[in-house]
Amino acid sequence: MKHRQTLVLALLLIAGTSAATAQGLLGGQVTGNIQLDGQISRRDSVIGSEDVPQKLLSNARADILYTNGDFSAGLRYEGYLGPMLGFRPDYQGQGIANYFVSYKTQNFAITAGHFYEQFGNGMALRAYEDRYLGIDNALRGINVMYRPFRGIILKGVIGQQRYFWESRGLVRGADAEVSLNDLITPWSEAKTRITLGGSFVSKYEDNSEVILSDIPGFKLNLPRNVATTAFRMDLAHGGFGLQAEYAFKGKDPNDLNNYTYHKGEVLWLSASYSQKGFSANIQAKRVDNMGFRSVRTEAYKEMLYINYTPAISKQHTYAFLSMYPYATQSMGEMGLQADVMYKFKKETLLGGAYGTDLHINASLIKALDTTQIGGIGTDGYTSTFFGTGDTYYGDLSVEIAKKLSSKVKIAATYGYVVFNPIIEGHAGDLHHNHVLVGDLTWKMNKKNSLRFEAEWMGSDSKYDAAVDDKRCGDWIMGLLEYNFAGKWFVSVSDQYAYNDGVGNYYNLSVGYTQGATRLQVGYGKQREGIICIGGVCRNVPASNGLTFSLTTSF
Amino acid sequence: MKKGILTLAALLLATVAMAQNAKFPGNVTLKSLDGKSVESSVIENGGQPMIISFWATWCKPCNTELDAIKEVYEEWQQETGVKLVAISIDDARSASRVKPWVNGKDWPYEVYLDQNKDLARAMNVGADVPYTFIVNGKGEIVWQHKGYQPGNEEELIEAVKEALK
Amino acid sequence: MKKIYKALIFLAASAMAMTSCDTIDEDNYLIFSGAAGSWYDANGVADHSQRALLEKYTGVRCIICPDADVVISAAVDSYNGKLVAVSIHDSNVFTRPFGNDPDLRCADGNVMSHYFGVYDARQYPSAIVNRSVVNNNWDLFTPTSGVNERVDAIVNQEATVALDVDAERQSDGIDITVNMEMLQTVSDAMTVTLLIMEDGIVTIQSNHEGKDSNYVQNHVLRDVITDVWGADVDCNGQAGQKRMARFKYTEAQSAWDLDRCHIVAFISNKSSRQILNAAECEID
Repeated sequence: MKHRQTLVLALLLIAGTSAATAQGLLGGQVTGNIQLDGQISRRDSVIGSEDVPQKLLSNARADILYTNGDFSAGLRYEGYLGPMLGFRPDYQGQGIANYFVSYKTQNFAITAGHFYEQFGNGMALRAYEDRYLGIDNALRGINVMYRPFRGIILKGVIGQQRYFWESRGLVRGADAEVSLNDLITPWSEAKTRITLGGSFVSKYEDNSEVILSDIPGFKLNLPRNVATTAFRMDLAHGGFGLQAEYAFKGKDPNDLNNYTYHKGEVLWLSASYSQKGFSANIQAKRVDNMGFRSVRTEAYKEMLYINYTPAISKQHTYAFLSMYPYATQSMGEMGLQADVMYKFKKETLLGGAYGTDLHINASLIKALDTTQIGGIGTDGYTSTFFGTGDTYYGDLSVEIAKKLSSKVKIAATYGYVVFNPIIEGHAGDLHHNHVLVGDLTWKMNKKNSLRFEAEWMGSDSKYDAAVDDKRCGDWIMGLLEYNFAGKWFVSVSDQYAYNDGVGNYYNLSVGYTQGATRLQVGYGKQREGIICIGGVCRNVPASNGLTFSLTTSF
Repeated sequence: MKKGILTLAALLLATVAMAQNAKFPGNVTLKSLDGKSVESSVIENGGQPMIISFWATWCKPCNTELDAIKEVYEEWQQETGVKLVAISIDDARSASRVKPWVNGKDWPYEVYLDQNKDLARAMNVGADVPYTFIVNGKGEIVWQHKGYQPGNEEELIEAVKEALK
Repeated sequence: MKKIYKALIFLAASAMAMTSCDTIDEDNYLIFSGAAGSWYDANGVADHSQRALLEKYTGVRCIICPDADVVISAAVDSYNGKLVAVSIHDSNVFTRPFGNDPDLRCADGNVMSHYFGVYDARQYPSAIVNRSVVNNNWDLFTPTSGVNERVDAIVNQEATVALDVDAERQSDGIDITVNMEMLQTVSDAMTVTLLIMEDGIVTIQSNHEGKDSNYVQNHVLRDVITDVWGADVDCNGQAGQKRMARFKYTEAQSAWDLDRCHIVAFISNKSSRQILNAAECEID
């Protein structure tokens, strides 16, 4: 078996390097990290978790990194002996999922094998991984970085993207970034800092596959090469900042856009001002058909993306505020976000003895104003640049955090969320939710602390068995967390639908941390739904049972 | 399953044998708060120890940790000469908020952006933040800790003092 | 300098990447992927014009024929696309080429000439519009006059079937796409016939003054692409039916100049052979 061979090879490599290291022949260091997650699920018809034939599902991985001066090499073992719920079954199996060798100096770097890379904000290219979402679109190929002069960085990539246990597609890209203050000597000390950049990324695909149009007797004329070009700017002047990136994509009929030939574009702007104790940031984004993937027929929604268009709403972390997470609609959206932080100074009316933090955030995301002109094999639709359509998502959150004494901190949050179920693919009325959160931390002494969190959500949505959205209704939640001895924690929580909803999600977790090693065991019911981490969302089916997670680095 | 565990055990054994102080990687490209690409070798403290703290704007315990250290930071610096460098792993969704965030919170730290987790990967941070390292005057990683519980900063400064020895 | 050299390599690599973008025009989003000669449901035909097809039998040694050419080309111009003319050089004595002139005779044309009785009647020039019948006989006439009245009688009617033809040169031959849309119900079986004809062939031509050695022959039938009597149309004839078929032609001769060739398509009643509509296009 192929995997076994690579495994043996890897072990030999590690054994070889460790022997050499021990004898001081090669020098260098070996570092790494290990993560083991598992779950033992029980079937539960009430929350609708799947019946899992295996008793134990587990995801395991170990990264081993060898470094010797400018040279480094690494490999990663991954094992999915029954991939955990929420991971694609295609991950089933084990073996060496990632390997590379790399040579890096100040002005020149080359990596062969698997690598991660991002041009600018990632709107043209971002190879990254999010292990909790099962996303890994690492490129396997060659990555080069070169600084010909001070202030200029050139990058080049060519490779195939990871697809479970293989690599697919072909991606080529180049990026140049210029720091004007470094390049132009008289500007080196200027207060205004300007960095400019540009990227060009092209994917190649064979076009011999037959994709039939809805006109009988005709198939699509598919482009073999599709390119995305991006330009960006970063301007800073004291407390002011202005950032912009614009990217456009050629005709790219694919599964996401129903094989239409509409061109893609994304414009993103961010302006901010900050000074001690105050900051304001406003962002705007317009996305139109920017799903850029290396295989046009790919159906798994998170796989084989070449670019990344981040959501423009705040990443909420309180359970009820993040119950309806927003993921960028890469087919088209227009969004606006404003964020203000203010610190009321100590010894003022609102500041009290320790000061008070106020954080306000609001975002509104709408569909584009589009006019349909045809289906598969046509330009699809036209859109106006400034026009908007239906509301996809909107939220407002106001958080006040205050330290009452040297031991007690409280935070209170009010949140309002408007959510259009169409972004998860089903029609229905907008959900309007009001959320209240109270959060109290009591630091009893140097090694012990207690945290209590209470949440309430009032919604105009009602649970309907036909739609089976288990987030509907009015909810309350309580969470108590006790950290002790600086190393241990135990937490209990319960979410309960008291009106127009269904479900009672209780959870008990215990964790232990020693340095870089952490073990966590939980028991309870996992809410079904989209969970967003790092801006990407996945559908986690309901699970019910025991989960554990062990991570360590060395 | 058995094979998986065996492999893991073998990997562990092979690596435990060579546990030694890894060097802080100097050849990773980061972004400074004014948008410029810089090499991680710019992170140094003239032979004094450094705290390298990985965090993100959306990570509550990270913010709690950095807020808590802020209150004792001046004291720590005078006592040990230590410098804290905060590495944000915010990606494009929130990276442009990092600079106003740091200013608004009035954090006295040197801050860099590691949007695609290149430094985090080179330092085996894994997927979770906060993650804190102590790098001694010779550029060796002498201590690391995952997560933050109120009070953990006491262990941190003890470890910094240890690193001075 | 080594640095500049490296930078140049980088720029060259980027330039290579830059060229890696295919452009596809809106007209080319779709590629025919069906079987040649098979009929498929289609989008229909925008132009509902009723056009007439004039088939003229002629020869290079026929003295009166240039007179007919003057009348017909004037008619083609005046009907502004509604009249499609074809010149058929069969194999009668008037069609034998002079000296080394190109041979304009066409075997399929000869079959038609015999069928309509032109060959036997030895009347040149002879013409027929839409293969009409008068008093149970083919309405053959000498096209030095009487063209307009016959064409008017056809193009002033509402079309029963709208027709469109499109031809594109490919590496392996010529793709010919026929689109039709039934505007009225036709109960009889139909055929579609495709012709390739060439303009601007310079030959010697007899005339009243003797010979013109630089005579320009237009609409010269080179070949019938389908069977001489056409290919069956797979259509139930109900009003509203929209059908298309693609044909491939691989027998173009190297002596023909395809830039000056046109494709003619016409739909006929399969049993009566009378033409319902015709269309013409250049070869792209």
